[in-house]
Amino acid sequence: MNPQAKLISATSLFLGTSITISSNHWMMAWIGLEINTLAVLPLISKSHHPRAIEASTKYFLTQAAASTLLLFSSMTNAWFSGQWDITQLTHPMSCMLLTTAISIKLGLVPFHFWFPEVLQGSTMTTCLLLATVMKFPPITLFFLTSPSLNPTLLSLMAIASAALGGWMGLNQTQTRKVLAFSSIAHLGWMTIILIYNPNLTLTAFYLYTMTTSAIFFILNTTNTLKLSTMMTAWTKIPPLTTVFMLTLLSLAGLPPLTGFLPKWLIIQELTKQGLTIMATTITLLSLLGLFFYLRLAYCATITLPPNFINYTKQWQINKPTNILTTTLTTLSILLLPLSPMVFTVS
Amino acid sequence: MTFLHLSFYSAFTLSSLGLAFHRMHLISALLCLESMMLSMYIALSMWPIQTQMTSSTLMPILMLAFSACEAGAGLAILVASTRTHGSDQLHNLNLLQC
Repeated sequence: MNPQAKLISATSLFLGTSITISSNHWMMAWIGLEINTLAVLPLISKSHHPRAIEASTKYFLTQAAASTLLLFSSMTNAWFSGQWDITQLTHPMSCMLLTTAISIKLGLVPFHFWFPEVLQGSTMTTCLLLATVMKFPPITLFFLTSPSLNPTLLSLMAIASAALGGWMGLNQTQTRKVLAFSSIAHLGWMTIILIYNPNLTLTAFYLYTMTTSAIFFILNTTNTLKLSTMMTAWTKIPPLTTVFMLTLLSLAGLPPLTGFLPKWLIIQELTKQGLTIMATTITLLSLLGLFFYLRLAYCATITLPPNFINYTKQWQINKPTNILTTTLTTLSILLLPLSPMVFTVS
Repeated sequence: MTFLHLSFYSAFTLSSLGLAFHRMHLISALLCLESMMLSMYIALSMWPIQTQMTSSTLMPILMLAFSACEAGAGLAILVASTRTHGSDQLHNLNLLQC
């Protein structure tokens, strides 16, 4: 892609995200979301492949409709309460419409249908942007309006997201779709704790971003788009597949890896609030995610492919590993001992 | 709820239902998106009249600028999908199925 166009897209992404997360007026939040949508469209469709164009079409329609619904909900609230402040969302219909609009933007069930297809149609780096950076402004809006949101609706959507993310991910062979469904499941975890402790939503989001970015960078380095390619990926950079397995287990939420921290804190907070059935349900549903993460790790590290390989490592290819890969994988495996810091900060 | 509110709500709701239930062509979905934006523009223009606060006259202009950008992006996507898929029919957008 043209370097100037890439610069404009990247700058607009930063600008849109900054505008939304620092806004007090609903119009500014909407403007930031619109800038984000418009900036990421050329990034999805830059290869002009039919799948990429289809992905950008689906992305554009859903995000534009959700932005307009968000503006409509804030307009309704402004008519009934006379002000446009984000933290003062009081009218119940506005709250429900806002929850719907942000769920469409994030990809929560039942508005998740666009998300796997859009991720499947874009490159790995664009997938990383779509799964992490584009989710940050809507989650910020959830954080800001969390006192006024409906607990029943959010809990239903969260448990359905965890369920659907787990079950639909079981049947996938394309790695981008697997990561899309894992994203939906993690969004369920982030949403279930939103009413009770919004800081935990942000903590879960940051740790999820870190671990998922590590996974996307690893998949980009070995260029594995499907499970069958992953079976021969260990010959390219053998240490990377070991780290890949550990990062996947961290994403699944196994102790003593970092990914256990958000799940632990969320279960603790839900139990403190007396919602033990919800905590049990969502924990059991995350076992489905564990199954397909283990399958990915198995394909990458433990199995030998059916074709005959008589050397243990491929002839050296000069593809430099991204420096961020090493940092993010280290952080996503080893950060659990720092969990008391999370208690004192949040 | 005054007649103004009712007309605005029904305009927006009908447009969003039209966007949600679009059946054949991509351009009809884009048109419904534009009509959602138009109803929002009219509602935002009524705001400074109702509250007599002329500082909020900027809001419909700002919204119009961004909705025009979005309309342009939508049309560019329409052209791109016609180039790759042959028509703007929504049946053809099936390359990315689960």
